[in-house]
Amino acid sequence: MISFATAAPAVSAAFLASLVEVVEAFTIVLATGTLRGWRAAIAGTAAALAVLVVIVVALGPLLDRVPVHWLKLIIGTLLLLFGMGWLRKAVLRAAGIIALHDENAAFAAETVKLSDAATPGRAAFDWLGGVVAFKAVLLEGLEVVFIVIAVGAGRGLLLPASLGALAACIVVLVIGAIVHRPLARVPENTLKFAVGVILSAFGVFWTGEGLGIAWPGEDLMILFFGGAFLVVGLCAAQIVRRATGALTP
Amino acid sequence: MSVLRELASELCKMFVGDAWLTAGILIIVSLTACLVGYRVAPPLIGGAILFLGCCVVLVASVARSARGFRVRRQGRP
Repeated sequence: MISFATAAPAVSAAFLASLVEVVEAFTIVLATGTLRGWRAAIAGTAAALAVLVVIVVALGPLLDRVPVHWLKLIIGTLLLLFGMGWLRKAVLRAAGIIALHDENAAFAAETVKLSDAATPGRAAFDWLGGVVAFKAVLLEGLEVVFIVIAVGAGRGLLLPASLGALAACIVVLVIGAIVHRPLARVPENTLKFAVGVILSAFGVFWTGEGLGIAWPGEDLMILFFGGAFLVVGLCAAQIVRRATGALTP
Repeated sequence: MSVLRELASELCKMFVGDAWLTAGILIIVSLTACLVGYRVAPPLIGGAILFLGCCVVLVASVARSARGFRVRRQGRP
């Protein structure tokens, strides 16, 4: 039986990270559906989900064959690369060095791109719309798959992590279906900051375990690493903002 | 084919957003692996180096990007 304390960090990391990714994919699918028709958008989304299922089914058994300490080391290092990349970008956004991600702007840009292309006749299938939706869902979905595997595989928490990701998909789809426009009010940079902190903390923890380091306090060290990365990230954003005099948008 | 190329490039970007940050993390992980693997340092010291090294790499990468931003802004007419 998996305890709540063990599963909570993996579930929350998978939920928050998936929330960000699904919001981004939703914006593009919404633009595609609105401009090119829902048949192409839904077909592209379904095809991407099918590819993702195939990847998960193919990768799942392979993971069982990798020795646990190698799995932890590889996943830990990948998590560090991925999580610290997110954290770095979130710090730079918080400091006003790079622009905040704007779902309305992303929707508008996608709309312009899709409007420029010729629309096929009513009966013909809109391949452009299908491919755009396919690419968006596949790319964001791959990140979700990686995050779920990364936070779940090391401790047999794949199912709780997958449920966290699924919950994020349901939340975005339900809200998206109700408001029927880009979810621009989601505090994306705050979420990315939080996810970067959590993934970096998991990364240090798994990498250390993979290298044979027995962390004192075991899983509690993830909280310590998370807290420390949060403080370092916030201080770095504050110092850089003051030093550059950049305005936070 | 272009879809596959774009996918590969996006996948690469997932882990190599900033080459300097990526190189720094890989150096820290390799250094820790050497220190712990060859028993040069006790595992916990290796762990501390791993964690603190990652923090230093993060701050250095942010500072580097901020410096680039400042230089670009000062260079503007």
